Amino acid sequence: MKVLDFSDVITAWPLFISGFFMTCFLTLASCLLGTLLGTLCAWVRLQGPSLLKLIVAAYVELFRNTPFIIQIFFIFFGLASAGFKMGAIVASLVALTLNLGAYACEIVRAGIQATPKGQVEAAQSLALNRWQIFTRVMVAPGLARVWPALVSQLVIMMLATSVCSQISAEEISYSANFVAGKTFRSFESFMVVTACYLVIAIFFRKLLLWVGPRFIFGRMKF
Amino acid sequence: MNKHSSGLVEIRGLQKSFGTLQVLKGIDLSVGRKEVVCIIGKSGSGKSTLLRCINGLEVFQSGELLVDGVPVKSSDPNAMRALRQKVGMVFQSFNLFPAMSVGNNIMLAPKLVKNMSPGDAKLLAEKLLTRVGLTEKFDSFPHELSGGQQQRVAIARALAMNPEVILCDEITSALDPELVGEVLQVIEALAREGVTLIIVTHEMNFARKVCDRVVFMHQGLVHEVGTAEDIFTSPKTPELRNFISVNHGQRELV
Repeated sequence: MKVLDFSDVITAWPLFISGFFMTCFLTLASCLLGTLLGTLCAWVRLQGPSLLKLIVAAYVELFRNTPFIIQIFFIFFGLASAGFKMGAIVASLVALTLNLGAYACEIVRAGIQATPKGQVEAAQSLALNRWQIFTRVMVAPGLARVWPALVSQLVIMMLATSVCSQISAEEISYSANFVAGKTFRSFESFMVVTACYLVIAIFFRKLLLWVGPRFIFGRMKF
Repeated sequence: MNKHSSGLVEIRGLQKSFGTLQVLKGIDLSVGRKEVVCIIGKSGSGKSTLLRCINGLEVFQSGELLVDGVPVKSSDPNAMRALRQKVGMVFQSFNLFPAMSVGNNIMLAPKLVKNMSPGDAKLLAEKLLTRVGLTEKFDSFPHELSGGQQQRVAIARALAMNPEVILCDEITSALDPELVGEVLQVIEALAREGVTLIIVTHEMNFARKVCDRVVFMHQGLVHEVGTAEDIFTSPKTPELRNFISVNHGQRELV
């Protein structure tokens, strides 16, 4: 068998393309939902009712201190045996969102906690209520402060979608595994998938760093 | 007893401590509608704390504080928001919202609190920016403005809620000397238009020129009150005489 023969891999291109789109879909959906969940959890940890605070603290510790593959197995296989059956894609989305939510919660919380007291006082003296102050005055500058850290976490999340192949979500690692198993061209198909991840990661990071200042927190400076 | 009194801001026996440190030791002060009152005094005399009690940013322990006849109750968030619609505040460090344009800084509270339509809010913001001489800056961001411009935006933002009284907490202390004038001019214009103002300041010339009444605070108490003329030309207490001579000396040095 010749080394570095890409013909079999190239023949399987539709699989790689569909895997590529599935990876992009899982990434975008879970990043959006996870960041939202994380921001909500950050609110709870900062200003929420004390019972909810406790629950969120437990959730954050649980998901930050266990491996992602165990979390996704628990959600896909564990919950299925308890009666909550989900498809591989839904289970992947749930697992990714919950995992990211826990990390994003702590990152966003740090950013929001650094809000200068004066800005909150200014908002208070304009008669805004607590929720308005949080959503309108604290969140955007808070996200801006931690944006580079959050972007790193989102890229890590993108890479973690590869774990979803283990529960048969047909993303790009699944495609690579499948093609490698079928053609015995492991080296070639994993080279292709590595290149794909590299491209997605670099592009995704650039996209996020571009999107943040334009659509999420405005052109502000610190 | 009739709780309603003639003053717009009515303060009686106000006491406030931070831990064991008593900052306000029983303040009595009444500020009438359309009156411009300056509060002067050394650092640590309690001026800013008194001002911050009026809109509930500081909680006081005993005494009475009424704004427009309504007692300030810091334990009731709804009452506090109602109070704060009547009491605007301008801060030493501007405290503009950095992620919002100048226009959005001004429109935020009218839209959220008074449910003003976006169109009306925009008209209002433009009108107020013209009033503070910054018509062109509607779409600028705070970090693109000078300190003096930021402070004028902060004044416009406070005016947008159409408050009964505006509290100014050392609003020129963080400014470069050459920018102080533009901010004080705006305040002076407000005073002429009949806006009720309570101003904590170190600008003695400004206090003398603009204020109807000057309050000298010393060690947590109102030590002397009078017209600007009385306070600056014939101070009665040695503390005030000393304070004025020290500040006068500083001004000469500048």
